[in-house]
Amino acid sequence: MTGCNKSPNPLKYNGSFSKEVYHLESGSYVKVCMQCGVCVVSCATRQDMDYTPRKLFQMIRAGKKEEVMKSNTMWMCTSCCTCKARCPRGIPIVDVMHDLKSMAIKQGYVSYPQAAFYQAFWQEVLGRGRVFEGGVTARFFLKRGLGDIMKAFGMKDIGLSMLKHGRMPLVPPKTIKGMKDLRKIVEKAQELQQKEVR
Amino acid sequence: MHYSFYPGCSLEATATAYLKSLEAVAEALGIELEEIPDWNCCGATVASGVVGDFTQQVLSARNLAVAEAKGNDVLVACSSCYLSLAVTNKRFQEDDHFRKLANEALAAGGMKYNGTLKVRQVLEVLANDVGLEKIKARVTKPLTGLKVAGYVGCQTVRALPWEFDDPEHPVFLDQLIEALGATPVYFPLKAKCCGSSQALAQPDIVVKSCRDILSSATSGGAQLAVTPCPMCQMNMDVYQSKVNKDLGTNFALPILFFTQLMGVAFGLSPAALGLKHCIVSPYQALSSFGVGQ
Repeated sequence: MTGCNKSPNPLKYNGSFSKEVYHLESGSYVKVCMQCGVCVVSCATRQDMDYTPRKLFQMIRAGKKEEVMKSNTMWMCTSCCTCKARCPRGIPIVDVMHDLKSMAIKQGYVSYPQAAFYQAFWQEVLGRGRVFEGGVTARFFLKRGLGDIMKAFGMKDIGLSMLKHGRMPLVPPKTIKGMKDLRKIVEKAQELQQKEVR
Repeated sequence: MHYSFYPGCSLEATATAYLKSLEAVAEALGIELEEIPDWNCCGATVASGVVGDFTQQVLSARNLAVAEAKGNDVLVACSSCYLSLAVTNKRFQEDDHFRKLANEALAAGGMKYNGTLKVRQVLEVLANDVGLEKIKARVTKPLTGLKVAGYVGCQTVRALPWEFDDPEHPVFLDQLIEALGATPVYFPLKAKCCGSSQALAQPDIVVKSCRDILSSATSGGAQLAVTPCPMCQMNMDVYQSKVNKDLGTNFALPILFFTQLMGVAFGLSPAALGLKHCIVSPYQALSSFGVGQ
């Protein structure tokens, strides 16, 4: 019965990363996954992902922090909610992806263009309470730098056609009146989220 | 019929045609829309990816807290805003721990939400509050013979699965198309994601998704497509030329907001419906119904 022999190099699980994820708002759902793969066949962008959601969840449980955090999987998720609607275990997979994105941004894993887009969008929200799409675009390209700005020239036809059809206002909306209070609300929400939400 | 109306950021810019046509159609059907005063961005699922779901939902809840003073149902058009507000509202109503914490955050800005409102998607309001019969009766130019792909997209029906429609095979939009006298086509990808906000960060994903969806719609014989979602409309319309260029296709499918098509059937003017904002021209497909440039 050689199959029962102990491996000469047993794999050591590092529990610290999985615990870190389980402490996120929807993170503990990762423990519930039964690896059935319904999320994979449901996913709109799985072909562009480094790892499928099913695999990513197993990697979290195995403590593979760098592989998970440096993967593009959560950034490819479009929050279309197909997996969330279908998961037989009721795991809000989309919400777990939100947690992973948020954690990646906090810890500086921001090499993907989506991370720059998300941050640009949030700066718009915190800036005037409403999102100005032109502002998000400008902030995005500023974050991404010259390489992406050059790529953007390949997209100029799209911008021009939107401009021509009156779909790209050049002036941002006014800042909402309750902006000061909104910032206080967001600040308090962030503080509570660190401590109590789960 | 009186509703508190949450327009959302897209309807002020890229989806201005949605706002115009919705207001025109609402007026024609006797629906009163009262904009929530000083509303703020719902945060969408993008904010969730930066600050987490809780903070994003608190952000959404500020709008509900403002609207609660009036007590009317909150009507939402944009799919992403609907997801944010409807999911937030449900958590306020069903999760005591969440409600307590969220109100603690809202209190920092002198606000409170008790969870007494209903958040409604405009499609569902049209089907259930107005009713298809009343809509049919308002039609002055039946869209007879027009083949339409009802592109529902993802978040509208999957924000809260089964809340008002089938999350996989939605029917409300097709029923509405029929009520206007048009023919809904067989369209298997009608609830598939268009790639959404990947449009800016990674447009190739949107291009591939839109190719599949356009191909599904046109193989069913569609002459135009309608949608309730600003992101779906933008990606399918604005990126259609890029799909053709990058992938060697030759789609020319007009993508309208469903409210624009309703307006056409109601005999409202193209200007009131914002048809000029369509990038793929809808005029040829609609020429037999008295719509000209």
